[in-house]
Amino acid sequence: MGCFQSKVTRQYPGHEDPIILASQTAFSVSEVEALFELFKSISSSVIDDGLINKEEFQLALFQNRKKENIFANRIFDLFDAKKKGVIDFGDFVRALNVFHPNVSQEDKMNFAFRLYDMDGTGFIERNEVKQMVIALLCESEMKLADETIEAILDKTFLDADINQDGKIDISEWKNFVSRNPSLLKIMTLPYLRDITTTFPSFVFHSEVDEGKILLRLKLSKNAKGIAQLNMD
Amino acid sequence: MKIFKADFDCPPWFSSSAKKLIKRILDPNPLTRITVAEIIENEWFKKGYIPPRFERADVSLDDVDAIFNESRDSRNLVEQCEEGSAVPATMNAFELISTSQGLNLSSLFEKQMGLVKRETRFTSKCPANEIISKIEKTAMPMGFGVKKNNYKMKLLGEKTGRKGHLAVTTEIFQVAPSLFMVELRKSEGDTLEFHKFYNNLSTGLKDIVWTTTDRGKVEEKDGDPFVPNSPKSAFTPKSENSLKNSSKALICITEAIVPKEATSEQQKAKGRMHTKCL
Repeated sequence: MGCFQSKVTRQYPGHEDPIILASQTAFSVSEVEALFELFKSISSSVIDDGLINKEEFQLALFQNRKKENIFANRIFDLFDAKKKGVIDFGDFVRALNVFHPNVSQEDKMNFAFRLYDMDGTGFIERNEVKQMVIALLCESEMKLADETIEAILDKTFLDADINQDGKIDISEWKNFVSRNPSLLKIMTLPYLRDITTTFPSFVFHSEVDEGKILLRLKLSKNAKGIAQLNMD
Repeated sequence: MKIFKADFDCPPWFSSSAKKLIKRILDPNPLTRITVAEIIENEWFKKGYIPPRFERADVSLDDVDAIFNESRDSRNLVEQCEEGSAVPATMNAFELISTSQGLNLSSLFEKQMGLVKRETRFTSKCPANEIISKIEKTAMPMGFGVKKNNYKMKLLGEKTGRKGHLAVTTEIFQVAPSLFMVELRKSEGDTLEFHKFYNNLSTGLKDIVWTTTDRGKVEEKDGDPFVPNSPKSAFTPKSENSLKNSSKALICITEAIVPKEATSEQQKAKGRMHTKCL
């Protein structure tokens, strides 16, 4: 009965045991299973290889796989913890964990800092922020004069850059965020609370003689629209 | 139908306690069916079960849970009245950056769930007071009561919809001296109804809208007032009202960042408006 697990590992390189992932994150085992449904959907959308590549990520975010966006790139890079250019299921769950409503503000602040520190110097420099603001304005098709942009940056750095050295370090960032909690709004996804109802996937754990057996049952509708429970 | 008669088989490798529990769950008679409280007490269920942890986030966020935050809202009401703030809150660079679609991971879920977004934004170059009164004037005939608190508004639908009354929170932020960002989010009610409401509202607001980030589900419509570069966009000289309003607002386009696909119509409009500095 070990065939189920090996089947999944063959199709999904980097697929990790949901029980282990659940123990490492704020997700329950059922929630990890539900995330797997989402992962399967995204990772098979362009190339069915069990991994999320940049195009598939862009497709999921923008409904347009060719859309380039520096912020999506940053998120992708942070999800791709092993720097392989693709996101496997383990990466996916561990990264989404930071967005869980129950995860600490500290973890979210750290993730956001790494997000905005584009060149990874350990500081968010003024020119990085300017680059990001310009990118946002382009994305939203807003046109602003350079002086206006500089004024926005001046105000922001006056507030955030306590030692006025032209860059924001991690402690300045944490201080800034605690005074402006709305900055972490993007770091929480309320949808993660309802994930098992969104992507139902029932798993029954049953101990039989030696070892555990994982069974995947899927709740779906048959041709007559009647709910049925099948082995996945 | 087999399920109505509870005519099902459990695979042979199911333990007997699991089989017994499933049988009691799939009981077609709701009076004898096991309750959730009883499931939680069941021996098989309790093995290895870790109860969920519910921790309130410390951050005060106006999101989907606004329905439970009435008390928080009234606290803000009192605070703001005392401070007497007369201008919209200013968006700092990071708040502005946060509005990017590339940072909105909710889309990963919404697309899969076939949902529409619960919030939307647009920018306006009109003074904040004008924006407020325009929204009010447009929403009220649509059957919405308006509660105002400085630059935050709550629009309450009088009709009962699929999930109760629709309630929409509107907030105005200042991006630059003459540029404001207006956020609208559903706080109660059905999200699809929110989308319909917003589509209707935006028709009435087209004179004050500069750009909109909501291209997700309101696209591919001819002459849609909310798609930039479309014939009825507020940016086109064809619209008399938009020119009148924009001349009242501060517009200084000295150096501009031109998007890659700027049309010649936009260039013309820019040329006409660039000298109106108050």
